Amino acid sequence: MAMFLTIDTADPRPIYQQIADGIKELIARGKLAEGASLPPVRQLAADLGINLNTIATAYRELQKDGLIVIKHGSGSVVASCTTTERSRDELLRPLRTALTELVLAGVSSSKILNMVARELSMVAKEGK
Amino acid sequence: MQINQFIVLFYIFFWVVRINGCFRRGRQPLIRGPEWFFNVPVQHGFYTGAGRKILHRYWMRMFIPFAVDIPVAIGIFLSGHLLLLNWLIAGLCVLIHVNHSYSVDLAERQAQPFAAPEAERPAASMALSLKPRRLRDYADRKVEWALALANIVAFAWLVRYYLAAPEHHDLRLVFGVPVFLLYLQIGMLFVKRVVVAWRTPVPQAQAAEHMEAREETRKFYLRLCDWNRAVAAAGILFWPIEMSASPASLSRLLSAWFVAWMVIAVAVTLWVEIRRKQLVNVALRALPVKLPDFLHQSEMARWPVCYQPSAPMLMLKGAHGYSLNLANALAPIGAAYMAGLVALFALLRIGH
Repeated sequence: MAMFLTIDTADPRPIYQQIADGIKELIARGKLAEGASLPPVRQLAADLGINLNTIATAYRELQKDGLIVIKHGSGSVVASCTTTERSRDELLRPLRTALTELVLAGVSSSKILNMVARELSMVAKEGK
Repeated sequence: MQINQFIVLFYIFFWVVRINGCFRRGRQPLIRGPEWFFNVPVQHGFYTGAGRKILHRYWMRMFIPFAVDIPVAIGIFLSGHLLLLNWLIAGLCVLIHVNHSYSVDLAERQAQPFAAPEAERPAASMALSLKPRRLRDYADRKVEWALALANIVAFAWLVRYYLAAPEHHDLRLVFGVPVFLLYLQIGMLFVKRVVVAWRTPVPQAQAAEHMEAREETRKFYLRLCDWNRAVAAAGILFWPIEMSASPASLSRLLSAWFVAWMVIAVAVTLWVEIRRKQLVNVALRALPVKLPDFLHQSEMARWPVCYQPSAPMLMLKGAHGYSLNLANALAPIGAAYMAGLVALFALLRIGH
């Protein structure tokens, strides 16, 4: 599978969020392994044709989540999984929000479980 | 054969190749079919209406290099300084490509008001490959070693030749041309680095087709850079042979060199034409799509040169053509290289 970062103009998320989520997904799938270099902010902004600050915001978010380490002068690298210092509660919060949305939309529990399993198989590292 | 005769022969060959190139460029607007004008999907009846005039203007602009070439060439032939034909050919190569790029861009902009309505809508989703690309992934180790060895051997030979009798040899004459050719090789390596690093998003709908077309084009240009490096390295290698040759054997040596040049030029030209056709077939599978402009580049790039640090692309697409963004790190490096080339010319006084 190719290492694509996608931006969708129809997506309600802001562009920086789409970029951050896209990189998160690549890390989760193992496409960006621990220690892998990310393109410098300036280069990624030039490649995507996007404002420099948008990419910088996306990288800062990834850094805040402990997924990348920004080294001034030598670029950004994917952090080790053990460096993620977020609590279990913090990690579960977005899942709970998404599940609440689905329950409120009237989706049955079994369907939700199927959806979660399918999404997980797409997101989790290949071969695992 | 005399050197001048070889140069005239090479100039005639250049003309023959250009005629083929003219036909190829002339067919380019219609290569995707009558519903297209280059990469612009046009409304029905475009070629019988406004499109006819736009197409004719594009064709006429293809003759600009000929309008420059013919009077200059006549002047050179009348003056008898046939060596200047080499510089004319080099200048025309640049002019032809710049003129073509400008003409395509201008013609596409002129055709935009007649574009099919769906072409106005940019693709909703675009993708950028983050797959790392390194220069060494596109380098052939054997070729790199051969080029490096050719340069080292030639310079070692020249140093030995010069040091054998420094008082009898002109430093500039001995090292001028090889240094110039080495500088050209460094420039080609810089171009290769830019070509490898260059990335732009592709429409997600046909990402695989676009990526394939770009990869094939990238390999083609990288191969052309390697051809140019090989020619420059061969020139460096030939220089000490020429310097050490006796006056009696020099004429035969030069003849052999020019014949080899002609054979290689014909072979490379054939290879380029065949590869171009293959590239067109690959490119036709990927439909051109307008991508969203997040930066409103048309407002940022009003002049041929701009400085936009917040939008660090090398080229910004403005309403009246492309604009070189000096905020991109490659722009000052390229400018420094060109300044170095001019300084080297002045230092070596090549052509005097």
